[in-house]
Amino acid sequence: MSGGLKIKLALLDNIIWLMLFLFFSACALGIPAFASWNNIVNILYHTTIMSMLVLAQGFVLVSGNLDLSIDAVLAFAPGVVVLASTKWFPETLSSPYLAILLTLSLGGVIGYFNGFCVAKLGMNAFMQTLSLSIILRGMVLFLIPLSIFPLDPVYSFIGKARFPALGNLPAAIPVTFCIYLLFHILLKHTVFGRNYLATGGNARASFVAGIDTGKMVIVGFVIAGLLSAVAGMLTAGRQDSVSNTMGTGMTLLAFAGALLGGTSMSGGKGSAFGMLGGAILLGMFSNALNLLGVKVTLIHAAQGTLIFLAILMDRFRVSLRGRLLREEQLRKLNQA
Amino acid sequence: MEKPPSNSVLMLEGITKVYPGTIALEDVHFEALPGEVHGLIGKNGAGKSTLVGILSGLVEPTSGSIVLNGRPFSSLSRSRAKREGVAIVPQEPEIVLDLSVAENLFLGELENRAGFVSWRKLRTDARRVLDRFGLALDVDLQARDLSLSERQLLLILKACVVEDAKIVVLDEASASLSRNDGSILERIVGDLKALGKAILYISHHIDELLEICDRLTVLRDGRVVETRTKDLLDHRSLAELVVGESFAAAPSAGMRRNQFGEEILRIVGLTRWGAFRNIDCTLRRGEILGIAGLRGSGRTELLKAISGIEPADAGRMSLKGKAVAFSRPSEALREGVAYLPEDRESEGIIRTFSIGDNLLLNSIAKFSRNGFVAWGEARRRAAEIFSDVQIHAFSMEQNAEELSGGNKQKVVIGRIMSNEPEIYLLDEPTRGVDIGAKRSILSLVNGPLRENAGVILTSPGLDDLLDVCDRILVLYRGNPVREYGREDFDEKSLFMDMQGYGFQEQRGGEECRAV
Repeated sequence: MSGGLKIKLALLDNIIWLMLFLFFSACALGIPAFASWNNIVNILYHTTIMSMLVLAQGFVLVSGNLDLSIDAVLAFAPGVVVLASTKWFPETLSSPYLAILLTLSLGGVIGYFNGFCVAKLGMNAFMQTLSLSIILRGMVLFLIPLSIFPLDPVYSFIGKARFPALGNLPAAIPVTFCIYLLFHILLKHTVFGRNYLATGGNARASFVAGIDTGKMVIVGFVIAGLLSAVAGMLTAGRQDSVSNTMGTGMTLLAFAGALLGGTSMSGGKGSAFGMLGGAILLGMFSNALNLLGVKVTLIHAAQGTLIFLAILMDRFRVSLRGRLLREEQLRKLNQA
Repeated sequence: MEKPPSNSVLMLEGITKVYPGTIALEDVHFEALPGEVHGLIGKNGAGKSTLVGILSGLVEPTSGSIVLNGRPFSSLSRSRAKREGVAIVPQEPEIVLDLSVAENLFLGELENRAGFVSWRKLRTDARRVLDRFGLALDVDLQARDLSLSERQLLLILKACVVEDAKIVVLDEASASLSRNDGSILERIVGDLKALGKAILYISHHIDELLEICDRLTVLRDGRVVETRTKDLLDHRSLAELVVGESFAAAPSAGMRRNQFGEEILRIVGLTRWGAFRNIDCTLRRGEILGIAGLRGSGRTELLKAISGIEPADAGRMSLKGKAVAFSRPSEALREGVAYLPEDRESEGIIRTFSIGDNLLLNSIAKFSRNGFVAWGEARRRAAEIFSDVQIHAFSMEQNAEELSGGNKQKVVIGRIMSNEPEIYLLDEPTRGVDIGAKRSILSLVNGPLRENAGVILTSPGLDDLLDVCDRILVLYRGNPVREYGREDFDEKSLFMDMQGYGFQEQRGGEECRAV
């Protein structure tokens, strides 16, 4: 393969970062104070929660499934745990470390339930996670009529704490980046990751090739549950409370972020690096609209437009990639 | 050949179809008369499917003309073929599973009144059609609940009766029919004949052809060998026409060996209900065992049972003297048994993966360092296999979906090679690949694959098996018929066994089926 083609293909595969760069440059030129340290930190901080959900959704999409319950888990896991440690069993569950552990476990268990239903009972992922999402959201509304506050500082640390020594950097940002790095390595460099991608690409072929595809699907949902619980702790920490409206409506935006980042809806394709780009672009976009003074009520429609453009561009990207490869093949043939 | 009478409804004149690297049909002349059942027989690759493709308007002939009802065409389109009254019943029943029997029967021909379906008329019409041919089916039944055989019959009825075609092509229509439904098919064919329609009846079963057809045309290597009326043919002469020059068991140079290693696989009385029963066989290191059989003989199911994909219900299996029973493919792979899927698109390659990643799919765990992939080592191994199996692609990084069929097949072969198994189960490795790819796949099988392993090979035709196998086991409708050693290879006799003759001789003419 020629060097020029390699660079072109690399650019096409990471087109989300190119878009991000162009969008950032345009905003930096057009909007005063956009490129300031404070605003950049602000964008990243506001993106952390969505980033977790994008990663959760993207990860499940890679295995060829989808999860509609992530925003309900975001509210349910920390909600129930905080309720238990403050109202139900204040004596036994007072330790905030235990609470963190319980929140993560609850997210994981819910994910396992989803995965079990899909992989072992053969339920449709859309229907299963939709029903669970309605159940969990309903339970949250029932259990937490108003919000519960304040939270233990240890519990709210990852969502709220800032490091004054590092220019007031919120802890949530390095936490998010570390998790993304972890998942990048997991998908790209581990045997599990490769088998996981293969399962999404062609489950039947992977099964025939000796991969435990049922386990792959379950692990995918467990991880989505875990990440949603982390997103829940970030949200609870930031507002220093748990409330019943946390995360409402974020599931579908998480799809958008994952798709913007090059994840395939039909499975088998996606990278953590791309998903991060998708999540940040979503955050940067709404930040720019805010700074431009666009009405809050209009932001939703604008985000929808962005998603539409992203899908359109993805089609363009796929056909351009195919054409480049075909041209290369023709060139090779002519040389021979 | 006699001059075709002028009242033929369908006539092919000098049809030739050339594909890159191969001639599928050469100067084919053929005609079908009204009120005639015309049989078409030939080995796999003789050109039957290309002929059907041309008639249904899916394949464009390179030269020659098709005369339909007296009007010549240089090629047909799908809609033109339909308009001229050609109906095709394909091999695999394509049916809408969620619709009722009645709806499926009249799909595309639903009569409507101002956009509304008249259910009462639809159901009465459907019942009338079914009753006429003695098909005891409820018209309200969902197609999903029908057996494969009933689905096939329904499609035959749709093409023949509902669409009211003048020329009906039945492409191995009987292959998925049960015995009882087979007699219904005969009734339908008889009825159509009386109505003066031309029926093109394609089958691998000599019996059936001699029973149903008025005239028979034999294709071999893309050419029409003979067209004869039925009374001038019997089983033996027809088999001879189909097979042609008898294959001499040539001890072809170099690769052939007489010395094999130790026995690595023994199968005793393996049975899977509805697929095959009482299969016994052994395999030694360095040996290639062929499984021959028509569609529905259970050859694919046998390989799938050995590899744990669809486990057997009864019988024993031992690997190097150790009793094993695999219930999933991962267990078989761990013991060194690798299966090459018959359907490479759906069970073979991962389309979203690069060629290199596909090659490493089976063996990636070997390059694990505490769960992490040692990419340097893994890529080197992939590159090795990439050049070993000679995939024509400009880079290993290319996506697997961009490859041709033959190259995709090589990727899947390379993939199972990467694990260095001791037993290869190759399910139709040469299906649907061009002649060049076929040769290189067979030389892979006969070279590196058998080097240190045993191979079980199936193929839709006998040629491949005769070419590379040391022994051939013939199956007929799930039953083992006979096993041939290389010195006894005789294409005619193998062909007759595949038709079930040997089997019927053994059991005194009684035919049974492992269902």
